[in-house]
Amino acid sequence: MLPPDLLLPLFEWLDTLRIGDWISTSSYAAPLINVAHILALVVLFGSLLIVDVRLLGRGMTQQPVAKVARAARPWLIGALICMLLTGVPQVLSLPIREYYSPFFWMKMQLLLFTLIFTFTLRHKVTMADPARVGPVWGKVVGLVSIALWTWVAVEGRLIGLLS
Amino acid sequence: MSLRPLFEWVHAFPSSIAMRESLYAFPVLLTLHLISLAMFAGLVVMMDLRLLGVAYRGTPFSEVQRRLFPWQMVGMVVTSIAGLLLFYMQPMRYFGKVLYWIKIALIVLAGVNALLFHFTTYRSIAKWDTAGPPLGAKVAGVLSLAMWAGIVSFGRLTAYDWWTYE
Repeated sequence: MLPPDLLLPLFEWLDTLRIGDWISTSSYAAPLINVAHILALVVLFGSLLIVDVRLLGRGMTQQPVAKVARAARPWLIGALICMLLTGVPQVLSLPIREYYSPFFWMKMQLLLFTLIFTFTLRHKVTMADPARVGPVWGKVVGLVSIALWTWVAVEGRLIGLLS
Repeated sequence: MSLRPLFEWVHAFPSSIAMRESLYAFPVLLTLHLISLAMFAGLVVMMDLRLLGVAYRGTPFSEVQRRLFPWQMVGMVVTSIAGLLLFYMQPMRYFGKVLYWIKIALIVLAGVNALLFHFTTYRSIAKWDTAGPPLGAKVAGVLSLAMWAGIVSFGRLTAYDWWTYE
């Protein structure tokens, strides 16, 4: 999955801004920002899985799906904000490397799709009356959610490993 | 007595060498280790947040604990196997890494913390399941969150040569 050429000037421009220089010149900044990114990933996966497992008809089955989803929501959104705050500086510190990494572009496109899925379809299904959703759709949405977020995380890990 | 010969012995196993020479073993195992860890530790964090009374307050703690436990175990088994294989393929890489050994010590402590909680404070669960947890439960929750944050962080930092000896 290659980046659209018209974005190259944007990444070259980001490179000339040198906003991320304090990260790439410090031997501690990049590792510590990445550690924070992964700590946020742990909270993100917890807040997703507790709901997705419930959608599969397992986990906290004595509670309605909507109740579990509402309780998980602030942790999901909080974790996503922390992911963004620790993710953007990592791109700004090495814009050209990110631009030429196929994993970066794969991750970004998947992430966009997965966010839209999470806040539209998944949100609707978790909040809807279970009788109207039926037994199948909840399971499909739960499985798709786990698969998509896992895939986003895999691509993210591979940016650092294989770029 | 030094453990070094033991590590060198494992390092020379043909299967350990074969895994080091493989292009795929390291990235595949490391990615699997991270993803299953995020699932396992993520559900542990959700449970600890309920224990502290800051999330899922509408659900009794015993239900959160019992219902998430099998899923936590699946994540723990997968991340442990991947982790042991990562160690098996590069024992000499981790031998002199202080952060790695702190991580292993924290895993042991987190296990002791969970068992202690289970066999002491958790026995009176009927008294505090829907109300506020006692001090002992809150201490166990805070310790668990702190130790898992440390385990995840130190694990990631073993990628660098900080605090590494020959």
